[in-house]
Amino acid sequence: MIEDRAAMGPEDSAPEPTPEEVQRPPGPARYRWYVLAAVVVALLALPLFRPMISSYNYVLTLGALILMWVAMSSSWNILGGYAGYISLGHSVFMGVGGYVAGVLLYYHGISPFLTALLGGLAAVALGFLAGFITLRTRGPAFIISTIALLFMFLLMTDNFEYLGGAAGLPLPPLEVPQEWLRVPFYYAMLFIAFGAVWTSYRVAHSKFGMGLRAISEDETKAEVAGVPTRLYKISAFAMSAFWVGVAGGIYGYSIAFIRPTVFFTIAISAQMVLMAIIGGKGTVAGPVLGAVLIYAINEFSLVVFGATEFNIVIQGTILVAVLLFFPLGVVGTLRKMNRLPAFLNWD
Amino acid sequence: MAILEITDVSAGYGAGPDILQGLSLEVEEAQSYCIIGPNGAGKSTLLKVIAGLLHPRSGDVVFRGESLAHRRPDQVLATGVCFVPQDQALFPEMSVRENLIMGAYLLKDRALIKERLARVYEMFPILAERAGQDAGKMSGGQQQMLAMGRALMIDPILLMLDEPTLGLAPQIAQQIFSQVEQLKSMGLTVVIIEQNAQRGLELADWGVVLDLGIVRFEGPSEGILGDPRVRELYLGKAAGSGEKK
Amino acid sequence: MTNVIQVAILGLLLGGVYALMAAGLTLAFGVMRIVNLAHAAFIIASAYISFFAFDKLGIDPLLSVVFVMPIMFFFGIAVYQALFRRIEGSAKFGEMTVLLTFGIAIMVEGLLGFVFTGIYRKAQPGYANESFIVDGLFLPEGDILFIPKGQFFASLLSIVLLVGLWAFLRYSQTGYAIRATTQNRAAAEIVGVNVRRVSAISFGLSTALAGASGALMSYLFPFFPFRHWQWVAVLLALVVLGGMGSMKGAVIGALVLGVASSFVVDQIGPTWGPMTFYLALFLILLIRPQGLFGKEVPV
Ligand SMILES: Nc1ncnc2c1ncn2[C@@H]1O[C@H](COP(=O)(O)OP(=O)(O)OP(=O)(O)O)[C@@H](O)[C@H]1O
Ligand SMILES: [Mg+2]
Repeated sequence: MIEDRAAMGPEDSAPEPTPEEVQRPPGPARYRWYVLAAVVVALLALPLFRPMISSYNYVLTLGALILMWVAMSSSWNILGGYAGYISLGHSVFMGVGGYVAGVLLYYHGISPFLTALLGGLAAVALGFLAGFITLRTRGPAFIISTIALLFMFLLMTDNFEYLGGAAGLPLPPLEVPQEWLRVPFYYAMLFIAFGAVWTSYRVAHSKFGMGLRAISEDETKAEVAGVPTRLYKISAFAMSAFWVGVAGGIYGYSIAFIRPTVFFTIAISAQMVLMAIIGGKGTVAGPVLGAVLIYAINEFSLVVFGATEFNIVIQGTILVAVLLFFPLGVVGTLRKMNRLPAFLNWD
Repeated sequence: MAILEITDVSAGYGAGPDILQGLSLEVEEAQSYCIIGPNGAGKSTLLKVIAGLLHPRSGDVVFRGESLAHRRPDQVLATGVCFVPQDQALFPEMSVRENLIMGAYLLKDRALIKERLARVYEMFPILAERAGQDAGKMSGGQQQMLAMGRALMIDPILLMLDEPTLGLAPQIAQQIFSQVEQLKSMGLTVVIIEQNAQRGLELADWGVVLDLGIVRFEGPSEGILGDPRVRELYLGKAAGSGEKK
Repeated sequence: MTNVIQVAILGLLLGGVYALMAAGLTLAFGVMRIVNLAHAAFIIASAYISFFAFDKLGIDPLLSVVFVMPIMFFFGIAVYQALFRRIEGSAKFGEMTVLLTFGIAIMVEGLLGFVFTGIYRKAQPGYANESFIVDGLFLPEGDILFIPKGQFFASLLSIVLLVGLWAFLRYSQTGYAIRATTQNRAAAEIVGVNVRRVSAISFGLSTALAGASGALMSYLFPFFPFRHWQWVAVLLALVVLGGMGSMKGAVIGALVLGVASSFVVDQIGPTWGPMTFYLALFLILLIRPQGLFGKEVPV
């Protein structure tokens, strides 16, 4: 109750102060760079320790997947976190990347390691186009249109023979000895994750990023303050598509087939959203942390409950609980409590 | 005897600062009050607190011996306190008649509702003329009359009007004022917020000057109008012309 | 010519059912600004109730609305009280509701999958595979029209419920309160409407409509837990097309798109039916973002 609804339409509710406005802990800002360097070195060096890792391929596959999710949720965050435009259809970009790279491999034999970036660009192009149409709306209507976009692509890929229809296309495997097979994929995903997090960081610290945050707080005010809102929103949409598309290109290759239900399903979009929210949407470190957390929870529940629908229930429950009790996510909540360790503070 | 006693009320929005900062005020039965004060002083906030739309953080609001501080708006309304907010008070897609009927939402007695409706139509003939029209399609002045008419459907003891003449042409504003006069003469207790301090104080028996969330001055209207401090601080150049925008 | 009439009839029958499904969704948005992404998940959950009532107890799916609706009504009220009341008045309420209902949808989907597995279900009451046959009238010699009984009864029930809903909103005291809250929440509060109570009731009504829709779905469309995403995409397209929150818009949108998709299926092929909805959604966003009967861009 308490709220004054007499004067408060949905638009003019006073914006909460963003985490950025909240006093930052004065902690030792230096050491976060050491932590970062250590993480990077460890990730780069991981494949070198082959003799010491018992299930080498499993570890690298897992690593590559986590890195992929880091990349995708960080990218989603550019639009959903910074600009406040929630996309529930973001896996459409993963699919576009996957199909572009997959088709070029299947029909022309060009390696996705070369064409994944092309897939990313195709995703950007779609982002521009879709943004141009869907960003005429805000809030719920926008969210709905992103779902529709996803289903349109599911339907189209399902029905185009050239793309293999619902059965998809098998991709020739990478010609590398079995024991080294996961290494190139691991490094590719590592590169993509770096790229995505770096992009997210740069956006967060740019004038563009400030504009997006202004849009997220109050679009009308941002507009009045001279932020070119439409351009910014569309750019954010396109930019948030890029690394997702690249990741899709590599992912399809790594599982050796492309198929509509691998990419164009809302469950994948849901993961990106969930990771960003649980970690803290609108922060640089949040989606990274969220990806690791959610992935860990998923693996854990798969081990404990088996491959049942039960981990879907768990995910839904986590999402609801986080929204109700910690809407700022881990990073945002810690920051609000002034407890955020410096190595998580990249905003 | 005071029918409304506001004691030491502090209130604010969400987690924000106190807008009302320990405000106290007494309202006497069948008297009329004009609240003036600069923009953002907390005038509307005060009325929202009384109406139950915003709960005080501390202090109490007592109406005829009952505390309203933690009541829901519908419960406050049931005690006879009715609020007409600053803007957007109507149901735009309902007809004038339906809007008026909504004003009697808490009443069950159909005959009584009919009777009240007839009385409001008598007071505001324009509403009778436009009974079937959508409220959202009426002019600003007509909408204000409808909002007032709707408030009368519940036959309130205390009527609170938040800037009823805001944005209206002078003749229309004049009409609204004379309606308020009429309500006064019917024995209603009226609290009105008015930007046009001169005009508002001429209308009311008692003037209340609000600033920074507390009552700065209060007294009989003529006194407030004549008080040099008030003139200087709050009426400003408006003292002569009556315009303060 | 006869074929065109046939396709149009099928489309209208379909649209009638879509209208019922969309009505609940638009009601929740209109009154509470809740975009309920879990609406289709609720429909599917209800479809399971009706399916098992038919399968195990032999209760006719059409008849099952008698208990599915009340069950879903109270379920809706419980969900509202447990979840939505907490976020009332929070900044970005609209966005919060989308994410929250997204989470609820995932939960419901997972639970249904966990309990009932992912296999397709479809109740098979006698009339599901029968048709009324119309001949003579204005039709050319020898031509006949099929009116599938299942679809026909479903549309009939849908019309009855929608008219009932309309009358309730139009004439009852609570209906007045619901409409008032939809149009101006603050003003409703001022005239003494207990908006929380009204919100809870409206959400209950909305889920009760999902319940009735589920009863129909149980024998009209094969369903399994994951299906709800496709459905919610279609329903949201209808609601956006009609203008979010507009009951009239939802019904007209459902009928128009029901017929349109029916023609698409007839001319291009059954797999492209859903495309009608998505394309219509994008088209409407391009031309008139607020939808046919919406007043403003909902925020
Ligand atoms: N819904 C709200 N949420 C947060 N703050 C509010 C809200 N409504 C008003 N305020 C703040 O409360 C303070 C007092 O507002 P209030 O509306 O009571 O002023 P007022 O005296 O009526 O001014 P005016 O003459 O402009 O109507 C202002 O600083 C305003 O920003
Ligand atoms: Mg005011």
